[in-house]
Amino acid sequence: MAFIEIRGLKYRYPRAAGLQLDGITADIEKGSFTGIIGRNGSGKSTLAEAILGLVPQFYKGAYGGSVTVDGLDASRTPVSSMCRKVGLVFQNPFNQLSGANDTVFGEICFGMQNTGVSAPEMRERAEEVMEMLGISEFRNRNPFDLSGGQMQRAAIASILVMRPDAIILDEPTSQLDPAGSEEVFRAVDDLRRTGLTILMIEQKIERVAEYSDMIMLMDGGKLIASGSPSEVLSRDDLEEHGVRPPLSLRTAKALSFRCSDGTYPVTEKEAAGLMRGRIVISEEENGKESQAPDAATENAVMEVRNLSFSYTAGTEVLHGVSLSFDSRRTAVIGQNGAGKTTLAKLLKGLLKPSEGSILFHGEDTAGKSVASLAGKIGYVFQNPDDQIFKPNVLDEVMFGPLNIGMHPDTAEMKAKEALSMVSLDGKESRNPFDLDLHERKMVALASVIAMDTEVLILDEPTIAQDDDGKLMVSMLIHTLSERGKLVISILHDMDLVASSFERVIAMAGGKVIADGEPAAVFADSGVLSAAGLELPHAASLGRSLGAKRIFLTDSSLLHSVHRL
Amino acid sequence: MKSISLYSDNGTWLCRVHPFTKVMYAVAAISVPLILGSLWAFAAAIIADLALLASGKVLRRARALIVFSFTIIATIFIVRSLFGQEGSEIMFSIGPVNVYREGFMIALRTGLNILSMLLAFAVLVLTTNPQDLSTEMERHGFSPRFSYVISSVFNIIPQMMGTMSTISDAQRSRGMETEGSLITRMKAFIPLITPVVTSSLITTRERAMALDARGFGAKIKRTYPETREKHRGDTAATVILALIVVLSILIKAALWLS
Repeated sequence: MAFIEIRGLKYRYPRAAGLQLDGITADIEKGSFTGIIGRNGSGKSTLAEAILGLVPQFYKGAYGGSVTVDGLDASRTPVSSMCRKVGLVFQNPFNQLSGANDTVFGEICFGMQNTGVSAPEMRERAEEVMEMLGISEFRNRNPFDLSGGQMQRAAIASILVMRPDAIILDEPTSQLDPAGSEEVFRAVDDLRRTGLTILMIEQKIERVAEYSDMIMLMDGGKLIASGSPSEVLSRDDLEEHGVRPPLSLRTAKALSFRCSDGTYPVTEKEAAGLMRGRIVISEEENGKESQAPDAATENAVMEVRNLSFSYTAGTEVLHGVSLSFDSRRTAVIGQNGAGKTTLAKLLKGLLKPSEGSILFHGEDTAGKSVASLAGKIGYVFQNPDDQIFKPNVLDEVMFGPLNIGMHPDTAEMKAKEALSMVSLDGKESRNPFDLDLHERKMVALASVIAMDTEVLILDEPTIAQDDDGKLMVSMLIHTLSERGKLVISILHDMDLVASSFERVIAMAGGKVIADGEPAAVFADSGVLSAAGLELPHAASLGRSLGAKRIFLTDSSLLHSVHRL
Repeated sequence: MKSISLYSDNGTWLCRVHPFTKVMYAVAAISVPLILGSLWAFAAAIIADLALLASGKVLRRARALIVFSFTIIATIFIVRSLFGQEGSEIMFSIGPVNVYREGFMIALRTGLNILSMLLAFAVLVLTTNPQDLSTEMERHGFSPRFSYVISSVFNIIPQMMGTMSTISDAQRSRGMETEGSLITRMKAFIPLITPVVTSSLITTRERAMALDARGFGAKIKRTYPETREKHRGDTAATVILALIVVLSILIKAALWLS
């Protein structure tokens, strides 16, 4: 008998029209690492919640079939008991902090307190997991003061310390920067070696491919396939189910390199092992790769001169930043705390510089209110829930345009156009809060696009998006840029930075440490390590295959690698 | 993180005193003068409060409270002592302004009462970690849910305040004016408050699940990582304070009966 047995599991949320889980049958063995993949809304998180019993116990709704964990019926065993068998780490590290403890140590002990672990054992276990996840140094810090990566590691520690037999990680890095994600993945990798049963829901397919013994592919609430990573990821219909195969696999497939069992390599390492020495890489750039700037820098739309800023006296977040923004699509990258969002808020006028000035078409914005700049500079916040308040999508999107004095007819037209750009046409009359997070994110984007501003600042537009969503964001950035808008985006997704932007500004410690074309910035390993960044997958695979140049896009790599 | 708790551990003995002892102190320091009703009792309580605050090295931090209370006390004095009722005795006059004895005494008593309450309260809140207090209450039989509510308020409210400023930024970015006339501010109310409520609901739901997933609500006796070391004299101090309260009731009763 498998450790987790799922039999014909069907589930419908209360008041929902369709099934969120539709006849899932699967076995998960003790000690295995299972990756769960699929597009947004495919039922992955619901499945995770069903294993712990939150579905149906917390949500109620219609439930059929069965889930047993180590012989216990998940639909009936109280979650507070089941948590000793299965731990669940949620996407958002912030929302899973208990809020009842003012130290990391206390936070980690919380679960053990609830399950009656004795004091000496509690202390011993807490020390052990803090050590394991590298958070011992934060033991007396307030958990709310930690960075995203640290907070998520504390969340994982808080679950692990309860010594469950299995742990489910629901997109644990979706809201983290590359360095924070790396910290979490390194921790996951260490856990894997301990023989713990792990289920990981993840959009970062390269990671899933690297870690998993088994992958479950879900779509529309159904389990489409399950099997070894190479079996599942080699499927020809993978993209139809909203998942792009890893670049290593696509490259091997394009060049017909198969492993001995007839499948394709799924990790960079496997692909390199199979292909190195048997391929030739054209080192010539094919024109498209180089995102040469057309716009001359003298046509500056915005300029910042010697900009400094501090939230509290004595601790500067930005030091003497000088930049000129022309019409090139510009990505601002760097670790959390590097000063990216502060810079963006200063550009938008939400913050006022401590020193220096910000010019919009040569005019100082210092004396202007945020509302008066709203018609010229648009800003899309990270969390859509910080702005949505209207009872239907169209009204929400028209709020900005009407505020800046647009005629209601024009506002409606612009709103509808913006909604169609983010593929939300047809959902105008829906309540935004009935939509999923990735769709709400698109509503927030549309609500700023509809304002038709000359400058658009996007703060992490790809968070919570699956491959289809990311593609849509990329297309949107191109379209807006073609319409003459200056698009500035803060991003953690290096693949998108490399493929869709003409200029990259890398920041660290409140300073600009690199500014130039993507190829030049990614070629500088010093910049990458100082800003805590990773290479785009194309560049990284290219390097593993022996290329000297930096590949920015998947297609440029695929076009340049040939079989000998 | 901006904390809404006024406590900070400055390492003095007062911070180490058991929270219950300080609660008992606050109860005694507030109730005894009220029971006895004499101005001397108020003065004694205030002197005791100030001595404790000074010894706990938090007198400076209590200053804001004292200044705040003085504005109220001053108002009471003006209202009560300058507008005497017919027939009440004029205590003294400053130019054309008469100060009435009865009103003055009422104002003095009310003022001392406010000051004594604030200072006694300051002794408790400036030197007691709210989490310590709630944990101790839980250990002594209060429901873990009750204790959770108390300690989470101190952590979650500052987070909500942060969310509110982000929401205000997000709406201002979409051209909404938040400053200006009353009508402008009223118009801004719904766009500001709705996301606060909805995002709190979303957060609360997720947090409730996360708490469940960590065994909160399991029908098992909760355990604690650390046992609180009793400060020397905690029990004695608590008993003496309780006795003082009882004694003051007895004195009052005796006076009343005689």
